[in-house]
Amino acid sequence: MLQVTSTSAAETALPLRFTWLSEVVAVFVKDWRCEFRTRYALNTLALFAFTTMVVVSISLGPIGIDRARGTKVLPVLLWVILLFSVAAGLPRAFVQEEESQTATALRLSATPSALFCGKLLYCLTLVGALELLVTPVFVTLMNLEVVSPALLAGTLAAGGYGLAVGSTLVAAIIAQARTKGTLFSVLAFPVLLPLLLLVVELTFNAVAGGGGGVALSQLLLYDASVTVAGLMLFPVVWNP
Amino acid sequence: MKTISAWLLWLWVSLVIVGAFYYAPLAEGFQGGSSRILFFHVPMAWASFAGFIAAAVWSVRYLMTRDLRHDRSAYVAVQLGLVFGVLATITGAIWARIEWGAYWNWDPRQTSILISLLFYGAYLALRGAVEDPEKRARLSAAYAILGLVVTPFLYWIMPRLTFSLHPEPVVNAEGKPKMQSEILQVLMASGIGFTALFFWLHNLQTRIQALAERKSAAREQGYGS
Repeated sequence: MLQVTSTSAAETALPLRFTWLSEVVAVFVKDWRCEFRTRYALNTLALFAFTTMVVVSISLGPIGIDRARGTKVLPVLLWVILLFSVAAGLPRAFVQEEESQTATALRLSATPSALFCGKLLYCLTLVGALELLVTPVFVTLMNLEVVSPALLAGTLAAGGYGLAVGSTLVAAIIAQARTKGTLFSVLAFPVLLPLLLLVVELTFNAVAGGGGGVALSQLLLYDASVTVAGLMLFPVVWNP
Repeated sequence: MKTISAWLLWLWVSLVIVGAFYYAPLAEGFQGGSSRILFFHVPMAWASFAGFIAAAVWSVRYLMTRDLRHDRSAYVAVQLGLVFGVLATITGAIWARIEWGAYWNWDPRQTSILISLLFYGAYLALRGAVEDPEKRARLSAAYAILGLVVTPFLYWIMPRLTFSLHPEPVVNAEGKPKMQSEILQVLMASGIGFTALFFWLHNLQTRIQALAERKSAAREQGYGS
């Protein structure tokens, strides 16, 4: 008798795990399918990044700024461009659910942690695409010489992840408030500020030469803390 | 009982003020009598910090019990934390003008307190943007807890990025206070006084807030004018 119950428990435990993963994938696939219908986030991110890059390039291009000052200024500008592009496009992930009134259906059909991971994955691919698009163009346009490309890649990966995870949680919060657009910047920037200080320092090190050091471990710890906080707080934010 | 404790608090804080000017000696190596600001500036910063931690604790309690009284306590703690934080920033800036020659120098401590203030200003903005009390309590509690996860990074990152002129914290890396005992006594007494002041104000403000909420609820139901 005992044996029978234990096997049935094992049988139910296995599909449960598959369900969680399939929920994550379903949310991710749904978000991209919706995105390809309108291409709202993609267009916003790409056009915003491109416009700001053109402005920066015209006034501070290879002729406009000397190399020594460029290594100081350009890492900051790169991250300002990335941050504002993210702020323009990412809140859409949750705001859209509230506006099209699909949030309730989503609450019924997916567990909060799976939903958070699915949305995070969607934001992560968006930020990754943005970085892949922006960074090479930025480096070429500004004639920026990168001493340590590996460090730059690592910073972009860890920094992009931090941007995505922080923005996903804040987007879930502001989607339920009244003034959505402006509120995202107000709420997200203090959360993302420690991250920005770190990534700017690391990007500067990658451009000027110099290791990752403590900053890299601080960045990874920031990512880990915000992920854990996000997983713990998201069910509270999402479920009424 | 409440009147007695309020008078005791008044007496305690008065004694701290007298002690700060007549009992404690001047610290060495500071311009004029500027070191006396220590007895007010440090406890203000401490009270502000305590307010933000208390807000996160009340937010956790709200999320566990879903009792709106905890949410109100968290809200008032953030308000008071902001007041004490602004006072600490201003007194710090005045001291910086005397000691360093400029009100604002982007010293790591100035930067981190400013960003903490921004964070809790954003908390108030969030509360203003949500009307439903339950939803407002839920969202702002989550944000307050997120604040306590993120802001410690500032206190860890900032001092490494830029050189600080700020005097050593009261308890330094070796874990020992390096101060004359009279100065330390007045500072500790002031710290206790400011903490008590914080919780006294918190109690008053939560009661005022509760009355205001009852009044507006009564007005919605059509009582009163």
